[in-house]
This record gives sequence, structure tokens and C-alpha cells, in this order.
Amino acid sequence: MKPDRRLVFAALALAIAVAFAFARQVTMPTAKSITPTLTGQPELCLTCHDGIEEISASHPQDAFGCVICHGGNALALDADLAHAGMRGGKNPSDFSVVEASCGGSECHSGSAEDQRDHIHRSTTSIQATYAGAIAQVRRSFGAQPDGVALYGVYAVGDDHVRSASAVPSLAEFDPVALGDPQPVVDFAANCMRCHLFAEPSAQPYGYRSTGCAACHTPYASDGRYRGGDPVIDKTQPGHAAAHRMTTAIPYTTCNACHNRGNYSLRQMAFLPRTDLPSSGEPLPEDRLRDYYQPIGQFTLCEWKLDCVDCHTSSEAMGDGDLYSSKLDIQYIQCRTCHGTLTEPPTTATITDANDVELRRARLNGNTTLQVGDTVLLTERGEKMGAIQLVDGKLVQTMKVTGEQLEIPLVKGTACEQKPDEQESRYCHECHAYERDGS
Amino acid sequence: MPARRPNFLYHLHPPTIPERESRFRYTFGLGGISVFLFLVLIVTGLLLTFFYIPTPGDAFASIEIIAFQVPFGWLIRNLHYWAAQAAVLVVALHMLRVILTGAYKAPRRANTVIGVALLAGTLLLDFTGYVLRWDEGTRWALVVGTNLVKETPLIGGALYQMIAGGAEIGAATTIRFYAWHILGLAVPAVILIGWHIFKVRRDGGIAHRPREGDRAPRIDRAQLVRVETIAMLVVMAALLGLSILLPAPLGPMADLPAASDKAQAPWFFLWVQALLRYVPPVWAGILLPLGLLIVLSLIPYLIDRRSEGAAEWFNRPGRVAQVLTLLMLAGLVGLTLVEIAQ
Repeated sequence: MKPDRRLVFAALALAIAVAFAFARQVTMPTAKSITPTLTGQPELCLTCHDGIEEISASHPQDAFGCVICHGGNALALDADLAHAGMRGGKNPSDFSVVEASCGGSECHSGSAEDQRDHIHRSTTSIQATYAGAIAQVRRSFGAQPDGVALYGVYAVGDDHVRSASAVPSLAEFDPVALGDPQPVVDFAANCMRCHLFAEPSAQPYGYRSTGCAACHTPYASDGRYRGGDPVIDKTQPGHAAAHRMTTAIPYTTCNACHNRGNYSLRQMAFLPRTDLPSSGEPLPEDRLRDYYQPIGQFTLCEWKLDCVDCHTSSEAMGDGDLYSSKLDIQYIQCRTCHGTLTEPPTTATITDANDVELRRARLNGNTTLQVGDTVLLTERGEKMGAIQLVDGKLVQTMKVTGEQLEIPLVKGTACEQKPDEQESRYCHECHAYERDGS
Repeated sequence: MPARRPNFLYHLHPPTIPERESRFRYTFGLGGISVFLFLVLIVTGLLLTFFYIPTPGDAFASIEIIAFQVPFGWLIRNLHYWAAQAAVLVVALHMLRVILTGAYKAPRRANTVIGVALLAGTLLLDFTGYVLRWDEGTRWALVVGTNLVKETPLIGGALYQMIAGGAEIGAATTIRFYAWHILGLAVPAVILIGWHIFKVRRDGGIAHRPREGDRAPRIDRAQLVRVETIAMLVVMAALLGLSILLPAPLGPMADLPAASDKAQAPWFFLWVQALLRYVPPVWAGILLPLGLLIVLSLIPYLIDRRSEGAAEWFNRPGRVAQVLTLLMLAGLVGLTLVEIAQ
């Protein structure tokens, strides 16, 4: 019997469809599943992101996985579905979601006693609230009678006010609603790009993130990703240099906000520096060039060291109180490390096995610190574990490069400082470098 | 005609059927395609039960595992989804064909009512299956659908408890919908389909023109089985094509009772969503849909009682029934388009 042609074609059509189905199944990527110990739930993120760097040694992938910080759909292999519900887009440390991503009493929302209150400290820090700049500008133009901060970039409160100069709360700064004078309104429009809650910056040499990642996740000068994840775009700026958090923060990261130019109060505008190429291409390291204060004075350590080598945890992240001025929280002076003509710098010996400096030294890896070691103690009682007393000498180990430097002490030298003139600006009078190299 | 006794497959078919009514352009094979789609749904549905977990916490995750990890899981799920949407369409079109060709007339009146019940069952099966996805997009279906049931006069509260498994949507609801989907709807549907097909043969086979004696030409059951096979191959190829090219939707997990503005009705209930804007819920969700089903059921008993004109497209005696049905269809399609435009 001659086969029915329609039957043959129909069978052929089905066979082709079945072949396509098999082809599709065979070419599907094998799911790569990890089950982090902290959640016990399988996650498939590494199927596509196979090769991404471990975020840090203190957040190992085996324990944390991806979803506990980032959110999202652990079991989906479709990009849109997998990324739905991710906290803060690609930055779970953005302050709008930081409690959910980084919080918890075991993690970063703990107590001040345990030194685990990082979220409270950084969200109330003056780098986040910008309260100082706002208060000063409002006072300058008559919108408030003094420099006591009333407003911050966002509303925030503080239950435990310890310092006499701190305020209990800040309201959200909205100059138009407050009826502030026009220059204050212009200030809000032109000059509020640099605080931890601001939009991620997208300027060459100024690429940065927001929230915790603003400081702890360095970006390349051209804002491009240089890590091992195959699906992260390496051509478009806007990604961190690598999927990494670090406490060894290079000065280039601080420079994403600092040293970007100058404010003009008269024009109520920010005047960006023009001495760097607009491409953002990586340049050979020149720390003096990168420190941009054309009229400023500074000494060798201020541009040879990274910012984190001197500025303490409470200076950078706040101490939990809401301040009206950075002068309340920034206190490191030359004498903190160099001492005075009569007094050497204060030191302290580590006695507690749970001392946070031991934890920090372990994280950093450039110094070996143990119980019994003597380290520098600041005026406010913060230990600086990277500056150790070794054989009677104060040796600083740079946190980023690991270079070791002996700190010259003032005592016993021909220094001409006066006992009542101990601020850094007095030291600059003799020890400052001019930009032309003299 | 073969003298030997037919095998099971042939035995299910009548020995011969009228040639005129066997043509594609008479029925478009819609009834047969509906049965085939149900077969696909049963087989793929059975396979899915090996992986789907009917609890609020695991339902969505189990579907993700099916879609992304189980080999060919994506295919089985997509086939199940597309066969279901096709079934709603094909069953409705089959009903329309029956009305427009007067195939509801005596002695096929009771079978028409069974058909209306199957239409309602198909829609409810698609609806319960939609809800079992338990993601953001299906939240509307779950919350609004169950709330509409509550609106039923007199028995609303009890009906709601039967469907939701409790005083409110909760852990019991997933497994309740699962039980309804498989045991409360699919199993009775299979029984009704069996009865429906039996009655087609008992009522005298496919509705045909009355003829004198055997003078009208007929085709052999072997021929009928052959065109059915061709139709099944083509439909299967089409379902596979759809399943490969267009994945079944899967949204972010539902987070009851968080609100979502993206939730909306499944496509076959968009007309209900539209109605809800203009009329009270008891009308939009209960009385009007029930009324449509009742009107369809009454067509053979009240609206067109005449037996002349069967097996003729747009036959004159059935004009009222045809116009009524087409108007109802136009209304549903119109409301759906209005809702899409929103």
C-alpha cells in the first residue's frame, strides 16, 4: 500500500521537532550547585558565574554562598528570574538594603562592645549623612543660626548618644520644602554627589559604589571589571575591579570621592580637577599627582602612606554618634604617631585573645600580631595594630603594600614645635613638600 | 470491510463514518484534538507529579528544579503549559463548532450538556494549574479567584473553605488546589470525556445529514484512524515547537501577603477581570459566568428545539442559537481586548 503522503510529512515534522528538543537539552549548561553551610539550601548561581572571585577570606563561599548576601532566586537558571529579588541590584551593601544583606547580631549589626556595630556606625557617620556640609552651608546663608546639624542626606536617629557634641537625630534634607535660600537649594542640586548614600559615581578615576562597598570594594580607574567571572561585562564601566571586599583599602578608592577637585561657594558648584586624562586609563602610580590640593600643604607620610594607614576605624566609619562636623570625629594628628618633644607616642599591649586588632591583623595578612605585642594607642583609645613597638622602635606596616617603615619620633630631636601648637598645620610649616618637589 | 475482528484501537472507532462529515472543513477535528491534548496533559502531568511539591514554601522551588535541573523537565513543563492553553482554546472552538453546525440538536442534547460541563472543567483545570505555580504573577488568580468564590450567595463561605482549605489562604491551600487539580477535576474530566465519546457513538455517531438508506458515501475506520494519526502528529509537532521556542512563564516567588501590582488574571479570565471594573463581584465572578454556561446548556432544550438543520454550518433553524453564541463570544473577546489595552 502506498504510504499516505500527509502521514509521511506529519511524521517528519514531528521527528524534526523531537530532534530540536534533544538538541536543546544536550546544549543546556550543566547546573553547578553549591550548598553553603550557613543556609543549607542549594544555589545554582555559579552555573553562569563560574569563575567569580570569592568575595573575601572572612566570607568564604563554602559557608556563605551567594544568596545570603545578594538575595535573588537560588534555583533559577534564567537570568531575569535568577536576579529577581536581588537586594540593591549588584550591591547588597547599599544602605537601603544593608540591614537585610549584612545585618544580624552575629554579623554586622551587633553591639559596640563586640565591635560588631559596623552598620550602625557607618550609617550614622558623617560620610554618610553629610550633616557637616549641610549644616555649614545652611548657616552660611542664614537658614540656621549655628552649625549644629539638623539635617542629613536621609533621616536617621541614634538611641545612644555618648558624645556631648553629638545630636540625637537628623531629618531628611529637602531645601525646597524647608524654604531655604536659593544658594542652599543650588548646593543640594550641585554639591551632594559624594556621600555614602549617593548614586554610584561614574567619573574616570572616580568610579565607586555605594554603602559599604563604596570603601571596601575598590574600582579600577576606568570602572571596568577585571576579574574571572565570564558573564560580567568587561567592556562597560560601572563594575568593581573584582568581586572583592577588602580592609586593605588603597588610596585610589578614597580618591573616588576625595581629591576630585574643589568646591566653589561663590558659584555653588563643584569644579572637577582637569589634570587627569578623561579616558580613565590606568596610569603609572604617582601618589603626589593623585593628591589634589593645588594650594594645600602636606608632608611625606600624607601622600606616601594610604589613607587607611593613619585614619582609624572610628574616623572613617564613625563611632555611632551623629556629629555636626568632621572635626568631632577626625582626630589623628602628627603627634599621635610621632609623639612630642617631651612625650613619646602612647602604646598599649594586647592582652585579650579576642582583641579586635588581632582579628584585623589576621584579615589583613601583612602583619603578624599576637597577644603580648605592643601597638600604638591613639588619643581616643583606639589601638593601631599595624604600628608595632619592635625593639624599642615604632614600625608601621602599610596595610595595602606591606611595606615596613620606621616612624621617626620627635623626642630627642631638634624639632622647633611649641607645646601649645600641636596641630598638624604647625608641623606642615617645616615639613611640608611643595608640589614642584622642593 | 475487513472480515477479521478489529483490534482495540479500531474497535474504539465506528466501522464506517459518513464521508461528508469526515472532512476537515466540517469539524476541523476539534473534538479529536481536544482528546489528544488531554492525553498529552495527563502524560506530562503524571511526569510532573514526580517532582512538584505542593506546599507554599517548596512549590515554586520545585518548579524551578523541574525547569532548570531535571533533564527534559523544561520540555515536559512547557508541553503541559502549552497543551493546557491550547486545550482551553480548542475545547471552546469545538463548542462553537457544535453550536454553529446544529450538532446539539436531538438526539444529542444531553451530550451537549456534558460538553458544557467539560468546557467549565477545562477552564477550572487551567485555573488551578495556573495557581499551583505559586509565584508573584499568579497571586491575583489565587486571592481574587478565591475571594470571588466567597461572593456566591448563600453557600459562598462554605465553598471558599472547600477551595482554600481554611478560613484564609495558607499552607493548606496549595495542597487543596493540587487535590482539586488532579483528583477533583482531572479525574472527573477523564470520566466525562469517556462518557462524552461513548454518547457520540450511542447518539448515532457524528452529527450528519439525514439520508435515505446507505446511499451517502462513507469512509472506512482505517481511513479515519489514519487522519487522526496525522492530526496527532501535527499537533504534537506544533506543541513541541511552542515548547522549545516559548518557555512557560515563571515569575519571582509569591510572597503572600505582600502586594504586587504586576499580578493579573490568566488570559482566559481577563474578561472577568474586565467585568470586575464595571459590575459587582458577585455578578462578574459568579452569576454572569454561570449564566453563560446555563445559556449554552439550554440551547438544545429551550432556544432551538427543532431537529431540522443538524450537520449544516449556519443552518437556518438554529439561527437564534448561533447569533446568541456568537454574541457571547464577541462579548468575551471584547472584554478581553479592553482589559489588555488597560
